[in-house]
Amino acid sequence: MSGRKKTALLLASPWIVTLLLFWTVPLVYSFIIGFTDYQLLKGARWVGFSNYVELFSDEVFLASIKNTFIFVFGTIPITTVVALGLALLVNGQFKGRAVFRAGFFLPSITSMVVIALIFTSLYERGGYIALLARMAGLSPPEHGFLYNAGTALYSIMAMDVWMSVGYYMLIFLAGLKAIPDELYEAAEVAGASAVRQFFSITLPLLRPVALFIIVINSIKSFQVFVEIFVMTHGKFDTSTMVYFIYDAGLRTDFRLGYASAAAYVLFVIIALFSILQFYLMRRRRPLW
Amino acid sequence: MRLPKLIIALLFFTLIGTAQATTRITWWQFWTDPNIKPTIDAMVDEFERANPDIKVELTDLTWANGHEKIVIAFSSGMGPDVVELGSDWIAQFADAGQLADISGDVSEDSAGYQGWGMATYRDRIYAYPWFLGTRLMFLNQDLLNRAGYEADFLPFNTDGFKEVAFKVDSLGDDIYGFGSNTVEKHRLYKKYLPFFWSAGGRIFTPDNKYCVISSMQAIGALEFYKMLHDSCGFVGTQREIEDAFLDGRIGFIISGDWLLKRIALENRDVNMVLTNVPGPKYPGKSFLGGEFLAVNARTEHKEAALKLIRFITSPDNQVRFCKANHSANPSSLVAQEDEYFLENEHLQAFIRQIRASVHPPVDPDWVHIEDIIEEAVEDALFGSGLPATALREAQIKITELKRKQ
Repeated sequence: MSGRKKTALLLASPWIVTLLLFWTVPLVYSFIIGFTDYQLLKGARWVGFSNYVELFSDEVFLASIKNTFIFVFGTIPITTVVALGLALLVNGQFKGRAVFRAGFFLPSITSMVVIALIFTSLYERGGYIALLARMAGLSPPEHGFLYNAGTALYSIMAMDVWMSVGYYMLIFLAGLKAIPDELYEAAEVAGASAVRQFFSITLPLLRPVALFIIVINSIKSFQVFVEIFVMTHGKFDTSTMVYFIYDAGLRTDFRLGYASAAAYVLFVIIALFSILQFYLMRRRRPLW
Repeated sequence: MRLPKLIIALLFFTLIGTAQATTRITWWQFWTDPNIKPTIDAMVDEFERANPDIKVELTDLTWANGHEKIVIAFSSGMGPDVVELGSDWIAQFADAGQLADISGDVSEDSAGYQGWGMATYRDRIYAYPWFLGTRLMFLNQDLLNRAGYEADFLPFNTDGFKEVAFKVDSLGDDIYGFGSNTVEKHRLYKKYLPFFWSAGGRIFTPDNKYCVISSMQAIGALEFYKMLHDSCGFVGTQREIEDAFLDGRIGFIISGDWLLKRIALENRDVNMVLTNVPGPKYPGKSFLGGEFLAVNARTEHKEAALKLIRFITSPDNQVRFCKANHSANPSSLVAQEDEYFLENEHLQAFIRQIRASVHPPVDPDWVHIEDIIEEAVEDALFGSGLPATALREAQIKITELKRKQ
């Protein structure tokens, strides 16, 4: 090995060691214990695929998968569309534009725990959202939005959209800035309306940005945990896959083998989604 | 040159000798509150001064993740010599062989303390009771007066309690009869269990073989609790309920000695009376739990660990702790007779309630069982389940859990 390669290896070694110790080893270890009944304080026995079989007959786990999918497919389209709309709004020339940009972005740099606690208060029986609902002639849930299986998950989803939309707005804004002005000028000369310009120029050129946003948002949404942990503890039909993993592995009976198997199911789901999204990103033919 | 070498050698052997003579023990505990931590530190200092051959390494845990830390530490064989455990956890650790059997070491202390039942698993004792915990009824005397009751009136059973709760509730839109907990882990079911026990409910048959949580008594108790919850309940977190009580908006709440501490620290002026949780007959039974000190089964310093535990749980130190923490529930019977408790009617109410309280079964799966009970109560109060159906489902789940065991 040449001296140059040795130096490169030496310089990269902290990262390599970290990767091996804190990522690769746990990844392999958790895969292995997924085939055991490993429980803290009780030891482990090899049980083959029993954990996986049990998982797919576990009503709580199946409900967690269902809730996770509702969360992912409920929040991503809304977040993406609203973020794009806000990006288009704040991309225009108007007074106070910087204030709006900062205002929309602010929630995404605020602690999730803090936001979750604020929204918990807003969603209470006597909270402002219930008050607004009553003013609008609606009848909010008797004990508050988070204490009702019909509204709890959707309330958390709404908060999540509000919180993350500013961050994706900023990414869309960067994408909008990268579109050459000449294209719009040429379209105007050709007599294209603003709507036509949006669908023929803006949207196609934002495709890579939009797909990037969808990819990172879907990975993040599949891993939703903090909101659930802080706001409902998985009650009222809000348990998601990561919350289920936490609950099975670290909260009640410390079934690490079972929790690891659940984590690998989540891993496979996210991997399949990511592969699908990368496939779509590489397509030459635009989606729209 | 020989003299310095001699001095160095002497110093070296002295240090080695000192190191060998000192026994180091580790103690993990949960009292990080600034009001009580200095007292804990001072007690450890005093212990070390009284036992110069023992050095105590103190580690603070939090209620947020202390249980996980203890489980992981014991699983990896790195548990502390002495550990503070909630009463609900003792069976779990004892069943896994992680706690030292101290049955033979506590015989001389057993008569002087309450709470051994919670530390006994399969007829062996695994921990020392330190502080007990119970919940009782706090009544807002002003609201009772406004509802037309005499100053010294106290409802003594569930019928009387129901009548007063409804009368108080009718005083105004922002006045409630009863503080009912929302879904909060370890809170809600502990509010139901006093009504359950007072009505004669049992979780298991006396031989511990069968779950009987959906008995008529249990269903009746849950229906009663649900009626209060739906009809005159202020539903909120424990903190919100206590806020509303202190603001004079709730007639009755069930709470623990932490509320006395809060009232003292915030200098709140509340005209209140404390009494036993109501049952069909007086006195009602409440929930009994507590904090215990246990010794690691793998410790090499069992004697030193027991010495520390005896010191910390001594009557004098319990009174000292209670004064610093405004606690009401020492496990030591001698401590309970201290002037500090005798002169305070509120603290006396706690001691009376402890004597009429029931602790949950000492079962290694209790943390799981309590989850099932909590889900049943949640379903009955906030979901679509009827009390009878919710408890029936809980009984099936607990039976299945025990069958797997």
